[in-house]
Amino acid sequence: MIRLSGETVRKLLLMPKGTIQRAYILPGLPHLASQIPAASWETLRRGFRQAAEHIQQVKPEVLVIYSTQWISVLGHSFQTNPNPKGLHVDENWYEYGDFPFDLRVDVDLTTRAAAIASSLGLATKTVNYNGFPVDTGVLVAQRFVNPQHTIPLVIVSCNIYAGQEDSLTLGRAMRQAIEESGKRTVVIACTGLSGRFFTEAIDPLQDRFSRAEDDTWNRRVLERIAQGKNSEVLLGSEEYAKTAVPDMGFKAFAWLMGVLGTPATPGQTLAYGPVWGTGAAVVEYVLA
Amino acid sequence: MTEGKILAGFLAPHPPHLVYGENPERNEPRSTGGWEMLRWAYESCREKIKAWKPDVILVHSPHWMTIVGHHFLRVPHLQGLSVDPIFPHIFRYRYEMKVDVDLADVCYEEAQKEGLVAKKMTNPNFRVDYGTIVSLHMLNPDWDIPILGISANNSPYFYSTEIGQEQMIKLGRATARAIAKTGRRVVLAASNTLSHLHYDREPELVEDMNKEVIFNNNQYQWDMRVLELMRKGKTDKLMTILPEFMEKTAAEVKSGGLTWMLSAMGFPQIPAQVHGYWTVIGTGNAVVEWDLTQRH
Repeated sequence: MIRLSGETVRKLLLMPKGTIQRAYILPGLPHLASQIPAASWETLRRGFRQAAEHIQQVKPEVLVIYSTQWISVLGHSFQTNPNPKGLHVDENWYEYGDFPFDLRVDVDLTTRAAAIASSLGLATKTVNYNGFPVDTGVLVAQRFVNPQHTIPLVIVSCNIYAGQEDSLTLGRAMRQAIEESGKRTVVIACTGLSGRFFTEAIDPLQDRFSRAEDDTWNRRVLERIAQGKNSEVLLGSEEYAKTAVPDMGFKAFAWLMGVLGTPATPGQTLAYGPVWGTGAAVVEYVLA
Repeated sequence: MTEGKILAGFLAPHPPHLVYGENPERNEPRSTGGWEMLRWAYESCREKIKAWKPDVILVHSPHWMTIVGHHFLRVPHLQGLSVDPIFPHIFRYRYEMKVDVDLADVCYEEAQKEGLVAKKMTNPNFRVDYGTIVSLHMLNPDWDIPILGISANNSPYFYSTEIGQEQMIKLGRATARAIAKTGRRVVLAASNTLSHLHYDREPELVEDMNKEVIFNNNQYQWDMRVLELMRKGKTDKLMTILPEFMEKTAAEVKSGGLTWMLSAMGFPQIPAQVHGYWTVIGTGNAVVEWDLTQRH
């Protein structure tokens, strides 16, 4: 057992506790950053802009982003380059434009989150390399909610082998790091919903869900989230994953719940619609 | 114009560890070596490729994953810094390559004739994936032969492995016709490992060969079974067991490169030469050559 001195306890009690002001589920496909006026893409852009406005209002000191498009296999990766910069082109959707980026990373908070995750038994890695390919999801979210890159970031990868338990643990580590930091934070799970893309060229103006059942499943999940039944969504994630093949098994949601402590707080859907047949939503949790 | 031909096909695995172990100037991180069995295997292939003087090397890479169809690099000159998103600590490579865009155009047309969804990648700022770069570096580190990169279309696997493999057979046929029509003398490269279950933690010294072992014996046995069929030229039998191999060992050949290459070569029933086999973080990797110059 660790014994803390009276002075240490006093310091801990006085330490400002970081607060998570808001949390979001945001889509990360580059279609939304294009100018194509597809109806559902426009809806999602409006949701993004609404989220951006709310984020600016709460004046966060840091944005914490978990992106399903930053895939890692050697455990969980954390971006620790203080200033990642470069030009990104999506490998699939390269016609939807280039993404120049010049980001600021909160290295202290990131490093602490990685250390806590590691102490909880997760394999972690910090990456700090010039030219590292920041993923499309992060850059799409940035373009809408932090276009001037004024708010520092924490960027966490999606370990393709992580199950729900590890994803929850990774989120808990993030929460502890946020609390210790004393920072006002906004947390973002950058993920799609149902994941069945159209596998041929489509007219974006005619975009729709590739399967009606996927739409039904997405709505069911969003409805539960709107009712604050987040724990039910977690319990149903396996079935959702089997039937609607959501983006990376919807593990971004498990990570988000790990960060938030699976609250009974309702998440409001600001926008929902298809992107190239898949499901996408902008969901907002107001937490403070 | 004389009809083009395929000189040879190579199973050309792409773990960035191989480049890292070699310490070429283009790659920033330095190592103390490692994975020599695979690197030396590649060295003997390099000599043969140089001697053949091919017009182009075509490479199919599982790390250029596309959803809408099969994509072909279609920018005449591509260069940049490739930092591997998975292994950035060992692969930060400055690449520069000349792309055979005329061949890309014909491959695209022929793929469409096969009923495949195809696309030409024309964005000059595109970052070439590390699978393409590693396989090409290991086959030709001088980069003095034009290349054509082809993506791995993952979408057919939404349906089934069989549908995915059928598409790769069609893509191979289309590629062969494009090569014949354009008069190119080419080398093909399937950028694939074999068994693909791997460790998710690395030793402190990444190139510590004392820690480099196959993930499990089942993977090893499967790799040997597949390599034995290749060595004996039993390509038909190989094609029959590939789906089971993919399922049992998460084999990376599922991404289609090997099937594409064998199809383009007309499923040659000739013994392939296994230049070397070794593991990389537990996956099975072999450098294998089908020399078609003996057949012409």
